[in-house]
Amino acid sequence: MAKGEALGEFEYLVLLAIVRLREDAYGMRVRREIADRTGRDTSIGAVYATLERLESKGLITGTVSAPIPERGGRAKRSFELTRAGLAAVNRTRGDFASMLDGLVFPPQGALR
Amino acid sequence: MMPGRVAQFLLLAAVGTAEAEFVAGDLHEEFAELAKCRGRRAARRWYFRQVLRSVIPLLTLRIRSGEFTRALLAASLAVLPLALLDRLWSFAYSQIPLKDGLDRAPALLAINVGLLVLSAAAAGSVLRTRPQAIATAALSALLTALVLRIAPGSAPLLYAFSALAAAPTGCVAAFRWRRSR
Repeated sequence: MAKGEALGEFEYLVLLAIVRLREDAYGMRVRREIADRTGRDTSIGAVYATLERLESKGLITGTVSAPIPERGGRAKRSFELTRAGLAAVNRTRGDFASMLDGLVFPPQGALR
Repeated sequence: MMPGRVAQFLLLAAVGTAEAEFVAGDLHEEFAELAKCRGRRAARRWYFRQVLRSVIPLLTLRIRSGEFTRALLAASLAVLPLALLDRLWSFAYSQIPLKDGLDRAPALLAINVGLLVLSAAAAGSVLRTRPQAIATAALSALLTALVLRIAPGSAPLLYAFSALAAAPTGCVAAFRWRRSR
């Protein structure tokens, strides 16, 4: 794997959030999904910076919807994984699984 | 129910043109939901905190997209005539014998300010979006402050204030005038 192809931790979380949310994957929902599941209160700016990076890597693609009143008359941009994005998620998942395989973790508090 | 104006302005100044609508829309949607369940004050505080925390990532995104460079270029072109004229007047005055320091005549300073308004307006008239205009206006004010700071001799306070106000005002006014046509 070439340098730059590996996913960063936050990139991986954003991609997983997009997979979970399916058609409803846009900036605010991605931010909330990560916050609800990991407890990380990330900023919308950090989410958009990551979404833009993932899009420039060709891992996701965005679709713009029509403006709606609930958003102050603004449009929203929903994202979905591309084939390369799905491959990147699966590869990272495999990497984590093989690194964790056979590991025995000491109970919390056992280490100083 | 709307978020605070300062927070909205800060967001528009930081966010790039490509993301402005989506980021503002996302924040507005969550703001409205929060205002319903936690009240307007809490929602406004949340909105302001989100904007503050988003400024650096959004500016980084803007720099990466090249938009920041364009705004900086437009602001530099707006302030360049002021910088050149300031140098010219200073040089001309330094050549006059028995002149008290480098203080310049009010008429020359007024020409400087007038030219600054015109060049800032020229820069503002070619901008396409509101975030671009706000970023260029802010940058032109910063560059004007820099030019005034490094200029030799002391500048009257009124001149400094006029020049600082002229750059962003000219830029935004020309942008709004062009958009209204």
